[in-house]
Amino acid sequence: MPTPAKGPRLGGGAAHERLMLANLAAQLFEHKQITTTVHKAKRLRPYAERLVTFAKRGDLASRRRVQAAIASRSRTNKSIVFELFENIAPVMANRDGGYTRITKIGNRKGDNAPMAVISLVMEPVSPKQAVVAEAEKAAEKAAPATEAPAEETAEAQVEETAEVQADEAKAEETKEA
Amino acid sequence: MAVPKRKMSRANTRARRSQWKATAPNLVKTVENGRVTYSLPHQAKVVTDSAGTELFLEYKGRKVADV
Repeated sequence: MPTPAKGPRLGGGAAHERLMLANLAAQLFEHKQITTTVHKAKRLRPYAERLVTFAKRGDLASRRRVQAAIASRSRTNKSIVFELFENIAPVMANRDGGYTRITKIGNRKGDNAPMAVISLVMEPVSPKQAVVAEAEKAAEKAAPATEAPAEETAEAQVEETAEVQADEAKAEETKEA
Repeated sequence: MAVPKRKMSRANTRARRSQWKATAPNLVKTVENGRVTYSLPHQAKVVTDSAGTELFLEYKGRKVADV
């Protein structure tokens, strides 16, 4: 049985973990910010951000995929799906990935478990980061093409992949339209 | 259920307990408003008012959560 990259499964088994992640994601989209353990927050981040990516795409197929993920059993969660698609997705429209933020807040009193707050990044994308990205692109263009890949930092690569994904999403939208 | 056959000696008990040590946390030193403060890195800090009442948790100038 393959073990997930970030350690053992949450809860008792694969099904328990699926339900936990779905519930955590639903609560995150409902309340915009939830307090949980660092371990769960780290597992939730890629799951929730993927759902936001679906929400940004916004078509019926992606809406059904999100509903299958977080609202397959609960009809009340359908309102959360609505919230995600109608209110959260437009806010994230200009953001290329990194829709959530994890802040560690120390250990829990009862069992000393390290706790964290995971929140949706609802602020508009700050122009400062855009300036930094432009400067990096300019630097890459100025440098010879052979040297550029070696100089790229991990962050730059992440940003690039996010941009590529966003471009793909846009391309798909145009195809469907 | 397995049960110990013999009483554990005082020496053995104390030898075991002597290995249990506290580790000092790695703190970072920052200067805030001219005062040197030590805090845990990468973790939200509690903001207090002048009377020392805890208000909320803050990280990088952003309110994170209530205390």
